[in-house]
Amino acid sequence: MSTFGSLNAATTALWAQRRALDVTGQNIANVNTEGYSRQRVELRSIGGSVVPAFFSTSNGLGGGVNADEVTRIRDAFLEGRGHTEHANSSRLTVENETFELVEQAFREPGDTGIQSLLSEMWSGWEDVANQPQDEAARGQVLKRLETLVGGIHFSQASLGAQWTQSRESLDVLVADVNASASSIADLNQAIQRANQSGLPANDLSDQRDLLVMKLADQVGATVRHGDNGVVDVLVGGMTLVSGSTAASLATAGTYSVDGVTADPPRIVTGSGGYTVRAGGTAEGQLNSLNTIIPSYRQALDATAVSLATSLNTAHAAGFDLNGAAGTPLLGSSGGPITAASLTVLVTDPKKVAASSVGPTAGVPALDHGNADAIAQLRRSTTGTDANYRKMIVELGVQAAVAGRNVDIQAVITTQVDSARESVAGVNIDEEMTNMLSFQHAYSAAGRLITAIDETLDKLINGTGRVGL
Amino acid sequence: MRITQRAVALTSLQGLNRNLDAVGRLQQQLTSGRLISAPSDSPTGTNRAMQTRSDQAASAQQQRNITDAKSWLEQTDSALQEMLDTARRVRDLTVQGSSTGAQSDVSAQAIATEVKSLREGLLSLANRTIGGRPLFGGVTPGTKAYDATGAYVGQAGPPVTRRVSDTEVVRVDTTGPEAFGPAGADLFAIVDKIATDVVSNPTNLAGHLTDLDSVMKGVLTAVADVGSRAARVEREEQVNADRSLTLSSQLAETENIDLPNTIMRLQMQQVGYEAALSATAKALQPTLLDYLR
Repeated sequence: MSTFGSLNAATTALWAQRRALDVTGQNIANVNTEGYSRQRVELRSIGGSVVPAFFSTSNGLGGGVNADEVTRIRDAFLEGRGHTEHANSSRLTVENETFELVEQAFREPGDTGIQSLLSEMWSGWEDVANQPQDEAARGQVLKRLETLVGGIHFSQASLGAQWTQSRESLDVLVADVNASASSIADLNQAIQRANQSGLPANDLSDQRDLLVMKLADQVGATVRHGDNGVVDVLVGGMTLVSGSTAASLATAGTYSVDGVTADPPRIVTGSGGYTVRAGGTAEGQLNSLNTIIPSYRQALDATAVSLATSLNTAHAAGFDLNGAAGTPLLGSSGGPITAASLTVLVTDPKKVAASSVGPTAGVPALDHGNADAIAQLRRSTTGTDANYRKMIVELGVQAAVAGRNVDIQAVITTQVDSARESVAGVNIDEEMTNMLSFQHAYSAAGRLITAIDETLDKLINGTGRVGL
Repeated sequence: MRITQRAVALTSLQGLNRNLDAVGRLQQQLTSGRLISAPSDSPTGTNRAMQTRSDQAASAQQQRNITDAKSWLEQTDSALQEMLDTARRVRDLTVQGSSTGAQSDVSAQAIATEVKSLREGLLSLANRTIGGRPLFGGVTPGTKAYDATGAYVGQAGPPVTRRVSDTEVVRVDTTGPEAFGPAGADLFAIVDKIATDVVSNPTNLAGHLTDLDSVMKGVLTAVADVGSRAARVEREEQVNADRSLTLSSQLAETENIDLPNTIMRLQMQQVGYEAALSATAKALQPTLLDYLR
């Protein structure tokens, strides 16, 4: 070893500890930065010459320490788990929100819900039964019927509005996903170049991983690791980002709630238009658009049809104040009867068929049997009321399950997040301890230089001056 | 295991959020006073609440029906009673008229006139209306049960009934022929004959008296019938009032909060929340920094 070898070793030590302190500083600075992964300086001792030659033999002692490499600490498996759980969590949250809005659309249980409008309408028929001669009572039952139809229209319209809103946000979501995908592709390229030229790209990688997590939330993206720190992003088996190139997604399908069965909304590849099975928020929204909201709209349609059928059948069995048989009470304003097209056809109070007996010798009977019979439809176990209640209970059960699932998933997601954070996050205590070690090591290296300096001073200035 | 401050913060935050969520839910229950504000809060409770509300509406309507039935029956009863009084007066006059030896033509004429006017009174009582409908007219759409000549112009048909409970209907009307005898031999025809025969043929009066007695017996039967129906309606009213109370308390049990219980739970939840807050504050605060020079 040369005379100044140990000076060099001490210098590398000073340099390495300084570097380590720098990294510690960076870690502390980013203790609360989202998506930041802690970094560590990989210290390696510089060994002696490995291949001995005739004139250059090594005494086996090393030449100091190498601190070129700064690594990012992150567990790829936990990250993958995080992607999956985040996607599940987002999906369940959207579904739960949808159920909450559907519940709001029906306003049950309460005094403004369809059930109480139904009850009022049936009571109105009994008023007609009490006063079949009174046009006010007859008019009132028609008004109550109109209020009920209005309530059904309102619920159906709020479900429709909810659907339209979800459909629009799906478009916004996909646009956002495409923007993120192209950012990831750009970052991939930058990371690749940095790695190829041996520069650290840890912070770029953190930024990219944060975007990947966002995509996992939005469309259930997963990753495949490539060379040079590059990752490919996959959505439902389709490659969205491959290295430095990004594909794009698009939405397809109807923008009208009535066209769901014919042309369901879906996410497709930007080029080619192949359907992509997305996860995350997108899956939740697609479920809302294709399953949840349409199913309750259908149930409401069925309610409207059953109401119209039972009322019309019962009404046709009676006779009105003029002695004519009852005409249909409810019908459609166009097309088949649905919750949206349901309309009250009878406007003349005289035409309410309250009597169960026809006219005798041309004189209409002032009977109330049919009005009473109609009022009793409320108690039918297969009638509109019973079926409507059944639907609301089903909604309640599904909404409760969705709410519970979100709660459970939230616990799992937080656990995975905190596990990820445990690996990749910054622990201040640890950084403090490291800081102390590096500080001490730096001082020690400084002392070493002083010691060598003193030794050399003795050698240079003190040697050969014996007796002077 | 390696734990970082942020991991601790994350889990603490989740715990705090859960606690606060529970506090918020209880607070919402307390301020709204309702246990169920959406079907998902309790699907079975929602079903019961909806059913109870519908039953309540039915019960309120039945109360209205009962009130209406009572007024029908009362009106019928009072009309029949008044008619009975009038008929008794007719009977007295008939008895008086049949004692032919003790009276002059003039007094017979006077009796005839009075009987005629009593008949008018009977007819107007028989045409008494409720809400524009003749009480004794059956299902006639007209306003009269008997015309001026005393002929029944009501219409036969199904009985007029009121629904007093989910399963029971009570008949509230009494048709003219039922109360006053069949057409041609009814109260009015007999009284008319009396008015004529008291002057022209007093010997027939004895037969008319028998007929009158039998028709009056019919009216009495009708009064008794109306009375028993009224008793039944009143019983149903009692039942309905009880049911309405039961339904209200049932709805309150299903839908409304138990105030002491909820306040207690809120208090406990708040204690829990505060404990979580202070635990979080303790766990997050210290670092090695506090102990380094």
